[in-house]
Amino acid sequence: MPLGTLDRRPPPLFHQGPSALTRLMVFSAVALFLMAADTRFAVTRPLRSALSILLLPLERALEMPVQALHSSGEYVGGLRQAQADLAKSQALLTAQSAKAARVDTLIAENNRLRTLLDLRPALVVKSQAAEVLYEASDPFSRKIFIDRGLSQGVVPGSPVIDEAGVLGQVTRVYPLSSEVTLLIDKEAAIPVLNTRTHQRSAAFGADGTAMELRFMAGNADVKVGDVLQTSGVDGIYPPGLDVARVAKVDPRADSSFARIALAPTASADGVRHVLVLEPMAMQLPPRPAPEPEPAKGQKANKGAKK
Amino acid sequence: MIMPRGSDQLLLPVNPLFLWFSLVVALLFNMLPLGRIAAMPDLLAVVLVFWNVHQPRRVGIGAAFFFGLLMDVHQGAVLGQHAQAYTLLSFLAITMHRRLLWFSLAEQALQILPVFIVAHAVSLVVRLLSSGSFPGWTMLLAPLLEALLWPALSWLLLAPQRRAPDRDENRPL
Repeated sequence: MPLGTLDRRPPPLFHQGPSALTRLMVFSAVALFLMAADTRFAVTRPLRSALSILLLPLERALEMPVQALHSSGEYVGGLRQAQADLAKSQALLTAQSAKAARVDTLIAENNRLRTLLDLRPALVVKSQAAEVLYEASDPFSRKIFIDRGLSQGVVPGSPVIDEAGVLGQVTRVYPLSSEVTLLIDKEAAIPVLNTRTHQRSAAFGADGTAMELRFMAGNADVKVGDVLQTSGVDGIYPPGLDVARVAKVDPRADSSFARIALAPTASADGVRHVLVLEPMAMQLPPRPAPEPEPAKGQKANKGAKK
Repeated sequence: MIMPRGSDQLLLPVNPLFLWFSLVVALLFNMLPLGRIAAMPDLLAVVLVFWNVHQPRRVGIGAAFFFGLLMDVHQGAVLGQHAQAYTLLSFLAITMHRRLLWFSLAEQALQILPVFIVAHAVSLVVRLLSSGSFPGWTMLLAPLLEALLWPALSWLLLAPQRRAPDRDENRPL
């Protein structure tokens, strides 16, 4: 038996370092600090960015085997699926072409009317296409990661849409990727407009599978099937994007608010390509500089600015 | 010379390269974009606990903390959630490492199960406090699956140390 076959080094008797309990305490304290810093302050952003750059090539590489598995499955049973998809998209195209034909004339007419009324021209939203890197496997939240980041000009808060409607909002921007919180995440909220009644309200994510319309009175005029679009009052989402459809209205007797469940138009699962829009606030004209006013009116002005 | 406890065979010394390689592979497995499954066993946690038990002087609480941070960034979770869970996991594993190896693999799995349950519970509490949504009851399966993985992983990760010290043509490994 050659030497070095067995571990002959004696265990260290004196040089053992801090005890396991000490280490547990130290690292737990650091972890607690990080959690607090991450949720309350922005100091952990550089650490996150650095680690994300470290992980990005691995994430890119790991996409490949899963992707290959999917595509091989599609390759086997793909033809029929492709034909069905083609038929569906052609039907959709026919349905949309009538609308699209009218859009040009409407835009021209709209511009004429706007100049007639001396309004500012409507905003044109800048956008860039992005690919979904992966969906976060975190079971406690609904997030996806896209392959556009700080270096491509993505800013935190940018709306993210797919072909069906609003998908979510960029919540963290890394140098080469960004994290998008989906509208169905518990943390997400979006101001919406009911296209039938033109009533504004706010939709919130609910338990990671659906959305709900909160703070609507029990007798509010909301019906199943109503389409909700972005209202454009928040300075982030451009107006007129589909958000959700009312799925269930439950006027509860025990509370003054109704429970209204929404089905989001954009499907959160299986989305591959998305469009990142620029937040509207970046295109709005700068706020007028506050005029120096006598001390009397200053309080009212402050309240109005908020 | 210290005879490995609970084993009828003297083990070769561990190859540190293999040790870290196995941890990185487990991390990669956790990062596979398989979607959002609450019952997904955390392979990295199992491998970490394994090396904490078998090589507590090489893989300690610090390593667990660092791998936890990587998982947090990958998942976009609260920074420190996995780090805290893995730190606790590693501490519990190190405190029980002298006792655990006296048992057979099945009994080890049974003893390691509460450790995984505690780690998942810590994650759950942290996320519910910092406004996450409850992922559903299937998450109870995760620690169970991790404990079930223990015997298989033990066999696999100890295999390099069970090789014959001398090359022998009549022996396959």
